Amino acid sequence: MKSPQNTIFTLGQETDVASLFELLRRTYPAHDASETQLERHYLDSFDWRLYRNNRVCGWDMPGGNGRKKGAGVFFIRDRSTHDSICEYPASRIPRFSKDITHRACRRLLDEILGIRALMTVATIAVKSRHFNILNREKKTVAVLRAENHTLTGRVDPIFLTGRLIVSPIRGYRKIFTQVRQYIAEQLQLPVAQVSLLDELLTAMGRVPDPGIPVYAGKFDSSLNTREAVRILLRHLFQVMQANEPGLRDAIDTEFLHDYRVAVRRTRSLLSQIRDIFPAQQLEYFKHELFWLGQVSGPMRDLDVYLLKFDAYRQALPEAMQKHIVPFHAFLERHWKIEHARLCRAFDSKRYQKLIKEWRVLLDNDNASAQRAGSQPAVSPETANAGKPVRQIAGSRILKLYRRILREGEAITPESHDGDLHELRKTCKKFRYLIEFFHGFYPENNVRNLLKILKQLQDMLGDFQDLCVQTAQLCGFAEQMQQEGSADAKTIMAMGVLVEKLNARKAVVRTELEHRFQTFAQPDNKAAFMNTFSLHNQPESRTVR
Amino acid sequence: MIIACYNIKGGVGKTAATVNLAYLAAYEGARTLVWDLDPQGAASFYFRIKPKVKKGGKGLLTNKKTLNDVIKGTDYQYLDLVPADFSYRHLDLQLDDFKNPDMQIRKLLKPLKTEYDYIFLDCPPGVSLISENILNAADRVIVPTIPTTLSLRTLDQICDFCDKIGVARSKILAFFSMADNRKKLHKQMIENPPVNVRLLKTCIPYASDIELMGIHRQPVAVFAKNSKAGQAYQMLWNEIMSL
Repeated sequence: MKSPQNTIFTLGQETDVASLFELLRRTYPAHDASETQLERHYLDSFDWRLYRNNRVCGWDMPGGNGRKKGAGVFFIRDRSTHDSICEYPASRIPRFSKDITHRACRRLLDEILGIRALMTVATIAVKSRHFNILNREKKTVAVLRAENHTLTGRVDPIFLTGRLIVSPIRGYRKIFTQVRQYIAEQLQLPVAQVSLLDELLTAMGRVPDPGIPVYAGKFDSSLNTREAVRILLRHLFQVMQANEPGLRDAIDTEFLHDYRVAVRRTRSLLSQIRDIFPAQQLEYFKHELFWLGQVSGPMRDLDVYLLKFDAYRQALPEAMQKHIVPFHAFLERHWKIEHARLCRAFDSKRYQKLIKEWRVLLDNDNASAQRAGSQPAVSPETANAGKPVRQIAGSRILKLYRRILREGEAITPESHDGDLHELRKTCKKFRYLIEFFHGFYPENNVRNLLKILKQLQDMLGDFQDLCVQTAQLCGFAEQMQQEGSADAKTIMAMGVLVEKLNARKAVVRTELEHRFQTFAQPDNKAAFMNTFSLHNQPESRTVR
Repeated sequence: MIIACYNIKGGVGKTAATVNLAYLAAYEGARTLVWDLDPQGAASFYFRIKPKVKKGGKGLLTNKKTLNDVIKGTDYQYLDLVPADFSYRHLDLQLDDFKNPDMQIRKLLKPLKTEYDYIFLDCPPGVSLISENILNAADRVIVPTIPTTLSLRTLDQICDFCDKIGVARSKILAFFSMADNRKKLHKQMIENPPVNVRLLKTCIPYASDIELMGIHRQPVAVFAKNSKAGQAYQMLWNEIMSL
């Protein structure tokens, strides 16, 4: 169904809609419907994924006397043209794309949102009046809709510019063109230049930015290591801070995931770029960041099980699928406990102290982005602080790359699973360093090499997940038995699941060998060495 | 999904079922198209759309016009119509001129299958090449059946026809239409339904609201949503969707 292209005119504050429609009626036979009132909730993800994809998503709830259960409408529109893309009756706001019953809507949102939740970003009251232009058969051939919008939920409501939306009906283009022309030329209404959502956000003072600071990944090549690391740590700290409220409110699983990634990256950076902070000071932060990783781990594990639950269920024979349901309830129950535990950790004095002291460290020496060589790095434990970051990072990247090759080549079919986990961790550290300092290297090379690295990492990640899951599932089954929340059929179903995961693990383990060989093949090795070799670094690559 | 509403007999409620079910599908947000294949143009009339297609049926078959060119939007969101045309009365003869004459409608609809979630075909009565085309194109064939002896005999004929042309019987979903519970025969037939075909549980009653569609020129759900007929069509749609 081809989407029509609406034309949207703005209505001045003094414009009387009734008179406007009266003028139109003199030229076109029409049906003028009575005024309807509704409450419109604009929805988007925390990081404005819909907005950034030029989509407007919302839920209209009829207001006034017409309000009744189940009468709401969920919609997705084009932000610029206001054309309807999907629309279906919905009694409440869906939280995730998977909650949407309408197939096309679900598919569309799934592509954009992934596992991010929808949140209300603004609520307005809408007064709407339809004016249908009819032909001789009294069939609607063009639709006009005058809308007045008020931003609600404030002491002084804000009135937004009224709009007249003219929508064509497929197969009746000519009349649409005539009406549009009449409105523009005879009624002299201007075409709206800004979308309603944009106007609304401006009125609210909200900026649809991703919410999480974006890291440009480029430094001035003359920057000293301590300052560069400090900039990176500051960015990672901002990411942690930005995700904390969503994590506490349990909006979706991405908040915790992103929070943990930021913590992991911080730890990785502190351990990889050495001798820039006093050892004693560093020890405290390393210890406390490790604690943060640990305290947030159980909730993330449960998130992963819940996200994968449908896949687990489908992996079971059909007759067994219903027996796994108590496991879902178990996961949800324990998820609540772990979430509460994590929130308590955030409220603890220990966490508050960590945040406070971390901020002090990051803000210290903020005033000067010091040049390499200008920093008197006297103590041996801060020997690298004043050196150019390009040199320190480059040497570390190469070391890690050689370590990956060493660890990977040492792995045999008899190697312990733990060796693969070690390789995975080294790959992660390597990847983080490349991402932190990619600005020093040729962009295309880095992009291609990251692709190769990611393929290896994905497989190592899958393997590690399978190792952890098989072990944890057995533990969960035991725990459920002790709690009395699982009968024999559930335990059996979980046993079958463990078997399936073990079988998959064996397959992944075999594939890993081949994947590593691809990663370490001579031309890839040459590309890695060539790209990250210290000799090949441009002398003064000026970066943002 | 292509849903054809078909019966060899005329006046059994095919058009009413097509219009009402298509409206309900679109109301739920599904992108829906109705193709009024009956030269009488009753579905087009209900949607207040002129039963006229430029270049007629032949123009569509010879690709002078595509279905896409002749689609008209109805008064309802997400519901479009390919209007009827008086020239469709010759469609049988025109189809016969083609190689694979029984697959032409399926071929014409193919490009629209991604654009629409549901395509409803409102078929003319009779057993003809058009019927064969429709049975081949449709994923489901809903057969409104009046609970009378002759209508049930027609249902058998449809099943035999499907067997003969190699269309799976499983496509056929019959339902009782114009059921009048004041009539003893209707009641008996409903109580002892045929077993050789899949019969839906929902019965569409004989109701004046359905006849009033011709006055209002609207689907029942628009002017009498909570009437017996309106609820029956909703139940029928839910039942079809649940299969």
